[in-house]
Amino acid sequence: MSAFLQFLISDYVIHLAVLICIYSILSQSLNLTFGLGRLFNLAHIASCALGAYATAILSTEFLMPFWVCVPASIFLSSVFALTLGAISLRLATDYFAIGTLAFSSVITAILINWRDVTRGVLGVPGIPRPEILGIDFYQNINFLILVFAAAIFVNVVFYFIQTGSFGRSLRALAEYEEAAQALGRNTRVIRNKAFIFSSAGAGLAGSFLAYYLNYIDPSSFGFNEMVFVMTIVIVGRPGSFWGMFAATAFLVLLPEPLRFLEIPSAYLGQVRQLLQALILFGVVYWKRKSLFPEQRQV
Amino acid sequence: MFELLPQLIANSLITGSIYALASAGLALTFGILRILNFAHGHTMMVGAYVYFLFVVTLGFGMLAASIMTILVMLVLGIISLNIFIKPFAASSLLPFVTTVALGAILEAIIGMTFGVNVQSFSSSFASDSINLSGVFVTWLEILIVGSAILILGIMALVVHRTSLGRRIRAIAENPSAAEALGISRKKITLGAFLFSAILAAYAGILVGYETNLQPMMGNAYSIKAFAAMILGGLGNVWGTVIGAYLLGFVENLSVGLDFWGYSVPSGYKDAFSFVIILFVLLVRPQGLFGTKGRSA
Repeated sequence: MSAFLQFLISDYVIHLAVLICIYSILSQSLNLTFGLGRLFNLAHIASCALGAYATAILSTEFLMPFWVCVPASIFLSSVFALTLGAISLRLATDYFAIGTLAFSSVITAILINWRDVTRGVLGVPGIPRPEILGIDFYQNINFLILVFAAAIFVNVVFYFIQTGSFGRSLRALAEYEEAAQALGRNTRVIRNKAFIFSSAGAGLAGSFLAYYLNYIDPSSFGFNEMVFVMTIVIVGRPGSFWGMFAATAFLVLLPEPLRFLEIPSAYLGQVRQLLQALILFGVVYWKRKSLFPEQRQV
Repeated sequence: MFELLPQLIANSLITGSIYALASAGLALTFGILRILNFAHGHTMMVGAYVYFLFVVTLGFGMLAASIMTILVMLVLGIISLNIFIKPFAASSLLPFVTTVALGAILEAIIGMTFGVNVQSFSSSFASDSINLSGVFVTWLEILIVGSAILILGIMALVVHRTSLGRRIRAIAENPSAAEALGISRKKITLGAFLFSAILAAYAGILVGYETNLQPMMGNAYSIKAFAAMILGGLGNVWGTVIGAYLLGFVENLSVGLDFWGYSVPSGYKDAFSFVIILFVLLVRPQGLFGTKGRSA
């Protein structure tokens, strides 16, 4: 086997490929609300956390199979989206962002404190990799195939949501709410649906994250993770379908060259954060005219 | 159920005073600039770290360290305002995103310089408690409550009783009309922003003495200050101060009192206060003291 092929199936490359698949689900689903709908949704990571915890708890405590855990994760995240939408969509832009942030903080506090169920800051260890129809996905390479298939499936679904009549209505609401309303589009229903689709995607991503990492704790779903996913959507151009893939791959791979530099491992996390923040700022500065234009007015 | 009440009220006032100092500056800048500065909590964190760098590591006196901290805050304030906020001020969402980036940058820099672990500072001033007829407080806590009342009181006098205050309110209410009357929007904005940065540093230093410091506290305090601000009504400084004290009371009373034999575990105080905020927003989407007209 050639050296290059060897490198391609090395654990390191497979690990990165799995992360790219999971983050592409997470960013594509955030793109629906944050990008296409221009709803400043900061609770996306909370949806992901709920999905991850649903899978983690069902598969460790109740030994439930893949076909129960994943739908349960999606269901829980969707129910969360319903409550999130019911309250936050009544709020104007600035209040909306902080309202979703408050929601996210409630979920984090519950994950940390409801120790009987979530084990608090200790997290849930020993989440088994799934087994489907007798095929096991214990090996990373097998798991990559599973998560790749899921990522393709979810992205195709989101492609049709975005380009279909629903996506067009959502985009119209973001650009010119009054005109869209005048044409008979129901603002509340459309945005609530967007929230549900988006949150369901995050729940699925969370479920795969739990399966992949075998261990989750509340700190994996903090505000800095939210900023990371938001950075992907902004770098990929909000509302763009293909941009998300490029931005996900770029931002997941970005800190990797740092491993080969002479940076002490204690600084790695900070350097990564600094780099991402500078890129976020740079892209926003460069695109400040076209990113999130204000609503058109009569 | 009520034996603990006086102590709980004292604790609520202390927490509320810290939140009020942390959020008053944020509300003032929101009133003038109409932007959400997410790096406000990180400014607090940087101010506290700079102060402790001078006091603990370099052995400066408290006064010299305070002056150095103020100088650093002025530089940080000018950089934040001119690079991270002003170029984006035309949009309502972009400054939020850029200040999130600024917050992450500050957190990373402080984490690299001082380490990510919790730093605590001992001072007899912060640890010896005195007994005020059954309520135990430290001198530091008396300073926190006293200085919050003093600083916010002076702020109220300046904003409502002086010509400078009239100019600030004019810029907040109608920037173009105020500018047409010869008020310098640039100067007022810069002044208010720098004042808010210094106030944030002061709140951060108090937090450093009262509890401890860590780079991650920036996010937590930004979110708390935002929470006080939406509770009171965006851009309404006095509403925000009341919101901050309400948060202090909700956090301490919810976990301190037992309700018919059931008490809320102390870890839930954050969740409890955010649930209250969501409930308030459900009933009054513009906050407790906000005006409806502003929401658009």
